[in-house]
Amino acid sequence: MMAYSLAFGALVYADRPDFNDKEAPQTLGDFRQIQSALQSHLERTRSATVCLQMGGGSGSAVIISKDGLVLTAAHVTGKIDEEIKVIMEDGREFSGRSLGLNSETDSAMLQIEGAGPFPFVEVDLKDTTKLGDWVFSLGHSGGFDKARGVNVRVGRLVREAETTVQSDCMLIGGDSGGPLFNMEGELIAIHSRVGASREESMHVPIREFQAHWDELKAGKFIGDGGFAQKSKPGTGFLGVATEESDEGGLKVTEIWEDGVADKVGLKVGDLIVEIAGEKATKELMTNKLAELGAGDKLKLKWTSGGESKEETVKLGERP
Amino acid sequence: MKIITFILAIILPLAANSLPSEKRKNGPLVQGALSPVQVSLQESSAVFYNNETSKAFLYGTVVSDDGLIMTKASEIEEVESYYVRVGTKKFRDPIVVSRNDVWDVMMIKIEAEGLKPVDFSQTKDLPHGTWVVSNGATERRFRRPRAGIISANKREIPGGSPAVLGVGLKEEDGDLFIGNITEDSGAAKAGLKKGDKILKVDGSNIKDRDGLIAHLKEKSPGDKIKLTLTRGDEELTLEVELMARHKLYGEGKTRNDQLSGGEAQQSARRSGFPMVLQHETMLNRNTVGGPVFTLDNQFVGMNIAAVNRVEAFAIPGKELSEIVLELKKSP
Repeated sequence: MMAYSLAFGALVYADRPDFNDKEAPQTLGDFRQIQSALQSHLERTRSATVCLQMGGGSGSAVIISKDGLVLTAAHVTGKIDEEIKVIMEDGREFSGRSLGLNSETDSAMLQIEGAGPFPFVEVDLKDTTKLGDWVFSLGHSGGFDKARGVNVRVGRLVREAETTVQSDCMLIGGDSGGPLFNMEGELIAIHSRVGASREESMHVPIREFQAHWDELKAGKFIGDGGFAQKSKPGTGFLGVATEESDEGGLKVTEIWEDGVADKVGLKVGDLIVEIAGEKATKELMTNKLAELGAGDKLKLKWTSGGESKEETVKLGERP
Repeated sequence: MKIITFILAIILPLAANSLPSEKRKNGPLVQGALSPVQVSLQESSAVFYNNETSKAFLYGTVVSDDGLIMTKASEIEEVESYYVRVGTKKFRDPIVVSRNDVWDVMMIKIEAEGLKPVDFSQTKDLPHGTWVVSNGATERRFRRPRAGIISANKREIPGGSPAVLGVGLKEEDGDLFIGNITEDSGAAKAGLKKGDKILKVDGSNIKDRDGLIAHLKEKSPGDKIKLTLTRGDEELTLEVELMARHKLYGEGKTRNDQLSGGEAQQSARRSGFPMVLQHETMLNRNTVGGPVFTLDNQFVGMNIAAVNRVEAFAIPGKELSEIVLELKKSP
């Protein structure tokens, strides 16, 4: 056992590039070693670095499995279960859906919905990257630009804290959610925010993702931190008035023009039979709307002229 | 053994929680190892000093042994009079030879001989991640190197700074009228007045906004156009000098521009280049104009714009050599 762990330790050490153990490059040769290490990983890491687009916003993210699991920042996806466009460096587009997020540390997951295999990167799951190590950052800075492609920048890990690591790879808007790699080409962190000086860049370390892996993958909204806000309960609006029907369910008596219900095709006289998978009652409707906020989703099942319909609607803002 | 490990584990993270600034990417310990490239910067960079303040405000790239220097046109013309240093020598009374506004470059001549120009024959395409070295700060006798890597695809940067009159235009009943006039514009200097009716532009009948804009598209900042107008009962012809839009109105400010330190950091003219190399070396508007080298002292190009907090543009060596040839020929 002892021998095994020693051998393992030696192996890890042997893989570490020499330049990481120098306090600074001593010669141009050291710079060249940093360059060739970085360049040997660029093709793969660039192909797995994607641009995310939702609403008017744009951020970055990285694919970590061949079936399209993606890591990014919570302030990029903003919400769970949200449709997000995923753009590869070569311009190919896929649709994606945000999974969980941690609003306190700025970590989030997303799943690409499409047939893989996708290009992906290895993750530094053993947390081997140390303060002072050389690192490189990738990102779709300022949004997707096919002619320009992914931006790469180099730097060192300059500060470590529990839920944040800091590098002097410079970042700018649009890089958020993008990947930070060590010189073995492993993903070590996700870009989160920038400091006052150009050389202060904050990233969420992979260990933060690992600490909540299953919850993130299961689509949970974690914490009530500043990186993403849960919708405010009671602010959601469906744009419909109903009354309980004798035959069970809720009869639509009024529809707000251009409201959510109007847009999905609900009509006066239709019968709502299920709300969020349960039998529709006035009480359930009231409770659901008190619990949900604008932007949250609600599954509805109704009958219209003998025809059965089903739709998941995104609630509007209560006027 | 166990105890030592334990103590180390506790002390190391505390002591080593933050990397001292001299060891960081732009710190002196890291940049110090670049001294073999410093030689090239020292020999083939020019430094422009404001005569009034004696402050260095721009770099240049030496392109001939007898004192031809290329620099950024829109930046150097902001300063009324200046002197130049190459290596440790000071040169007074530089002369403007010619300029190219498409690339925003100016060719300047100093009275010198035996200078070491950059070698255009060495330039080649560099893959992403290649270290390049530019001028960082400067001292009177010593150019300080600063490194960064090639960070994106070589490409054209659209946009640019079209030639503008500096007026609003109004179409009314099939006629074209001058609207509000921007202060200090060519139109203001030429004496255009709000309400003037445009009859002809450079001799041709142009009576709609699109026609005039199409005509301006063919022109460069600094060009003059003749406007034939009626003002009241009077018919008059005025010559108007066109200006670069960024000089009159500034470039648009995005959120990323706000993040980038604004005017002190960013080049005023930072778009509209036919071809650039993008690197991430930390430059500002006062440290562009100089040469860029590889670690092997090969000339890569000339820094032409500090774009934002993460992007610097350089004119590639091949394109720069063509511009130099053209400017040498021009009268």
